[in-house]
Amino acid sequence: MDATLAGHLQELRRGTVVVASLTVLRSPGYGYSLLETLSRAGFEVEANTLYPLLRRLEAQGLLTSEWNTDEARPRKFYRTTEQGESLAETLRGEWARVDRAIGDLAVATTPGSAE
Amino acid sequence: MTNLVDRYVFTALRRIPEQQRSDIDRELRASIEDAVESRLDAGESREAAVEAALTELGDPDRLADSYSGRPGYLIGPEMFPIWRSVMKTLFTMALPVVIAVIVVVQLFDDPSIGTVIGTAVSSLITVGAHMAFWTTLSFAVLERTGVGRTDLKRDWSLKDLPKYEPGRATTPQLISGLVWVALLIAALVLQQFTFTDVPLLDPANWAFWWPVLIALFVLRGLYHVWLHRVGRWTMTVAAVNAALTVVTTAPMVWLLATDRFFNPAFHGFLELEGGDVKTWLTTTVIAVVVLGGLWDIFETTKRAVQERRGLPTQVPGTGL
Repeated sequence: MDATLAGHLQELRRGTVVVASLTVLRSPGYGYSLLETLSRAGFEVEANTLYPLLRRLEAQGLLTSEWNTDEARPRKFYRTTEQGESLAETLRGEWARVDRAIGDLAVATTPGSAE
Repeated sequence: MTNLVDRYVFTALRRIPEQQRSDIDRELRASIEDAVESRLDAGESREAAVEAALTELGDPDRLADSYSGRPGYLIGPEMFPIWRSVMKTLFTMALPVVIAVIVVVQLFDDPSIGTVIGTAVSSLITVGAHMAFWTTLSFAVLERTGVGRTDLKRDWSLKDLPKYEPGRATTPQLISGLVWVALLIAALVLQQFTFTDVPLLDPANWAFWWPVLIALFVLRGLYHVWLHRVGRWTMTVAAVNAALTVVTTAPMVWLLATDRFFNPAFHGFLELEGGDVKTWLTTTVIAVVVLGGLWDIFETTKRAVQERRGLPTQVPGTGL
C-alpha cells in the first residue's frame, strides 16, 4: 500500500476505535477479548494503542472497571458507563450523518448524473 | 535469569508513575498471558508465543509513554507558533543588539581585529545557545504543566494583519529610533569615563563638537517623536530627515578626516603589529557614517514618495 493511502486511511479511522470500544463494552470485557472482537470486526487496532486507550476512557468516566478474580487468571473487566453509552450514541449518530453526507456528495458529483 | 515477560513489564513500568504501577503490572501481565495462550492454542511453542506476543506489543518505553499520557514531543502544535515568534524576535532583534554591545565594549578594551572577531564569534555562539536553550526549556515546561497556556495563547484577529502601508510611522519604529538616540548619547558620554583608562575620543572636543553632536542626537530623538505624531512619511519629513542627517554627518566626517575625532593620547590602536589601525578605523567609521547617512536619506525619501503616490509595500511574487 502506498504511503499516501496509508496516511489518509489512518486519518479517517482515527477515533473509530473509541466508538467501537464503547459499543462493544456494553457487555463487560477485558483487554485481550476486546482486541480479538475488534480485529474480527475488521478494526485494525494494535494492543499497545488499545490498552492505554481503555485506561484513558476509564479516567474520563466513559468506562468503569472491575477485577474479576473468579477464574484462574485475574482479569480487569471494563464496562461502558451510562455517560459512555450516551457519548457513543452521539458519535454513532455523527458517523451515520457523515456517511450519508458523503454518499449524497458522491451521487451528486458522479459524472453524467442528473442535476 | 529473569524471563522475557518480567523484563518487558519491568521496563515498561519503570517509566510509569508509581501509584499506577501495581494495577498496570497486573493488567499488562494478564493481557500478555492471554495473547500467549491464544498463540499456544494455535500450536506455537511457548517460547515462540512469548516472543511474538511481546514483539507485537512493541517498544515498552513507548507503551509507558502512552499509558502515562506523556506527549511524544517537546513543544506541541499549540505552543509552536508562539515559540517560533519568540525565537525569531530574540535572534533577529535581541541577539544582534547584545553582540553589538559586546563588540563595542571589546573594541574599547582591546581593539585588535583578531580579538574583536574572536569575541564576536564566541559570544554569538554562547549568547545564541543560551537564548535558544532557555526559551525552549521554558516552553517545554509550559507544555507539560499547562501553566499560563491560556495567557500565552491569544486569538488571532484581523488587527494582526500587517498593513503594507510604507507611509505609516509605527510605534516600534518610534521606540527603536529613541533607543538608538539614547545609546549613541550614552556611548559618547560614557567613553569619557569608563570603557578605557584613556578616553577613546578626543576630550578637546568637549569644548564644542561633542555637545553639538549630543544636541543633534537630541534633535534626532525629537524628530522621531514628531514623525510619530505626523504619523506618515511626508515629503517634509524626508526633507527634515535629510537636513538632520547631513548636519550630523558632516562634522563627524570633518573631525575624522582632520584627525580630531580620536583621542591623540589613546594608544590602544598601536597594539596591533604592522598595520596602522587608527587610519584603518578612521576610514571605516567615515565609510559607515557616510553610507549609513545616504542609505537613511534614500530610504526615507523612498517611503515619502510611496506614501505620496499611495503605493503599497512591494511583496515579491504577489504582483502588488
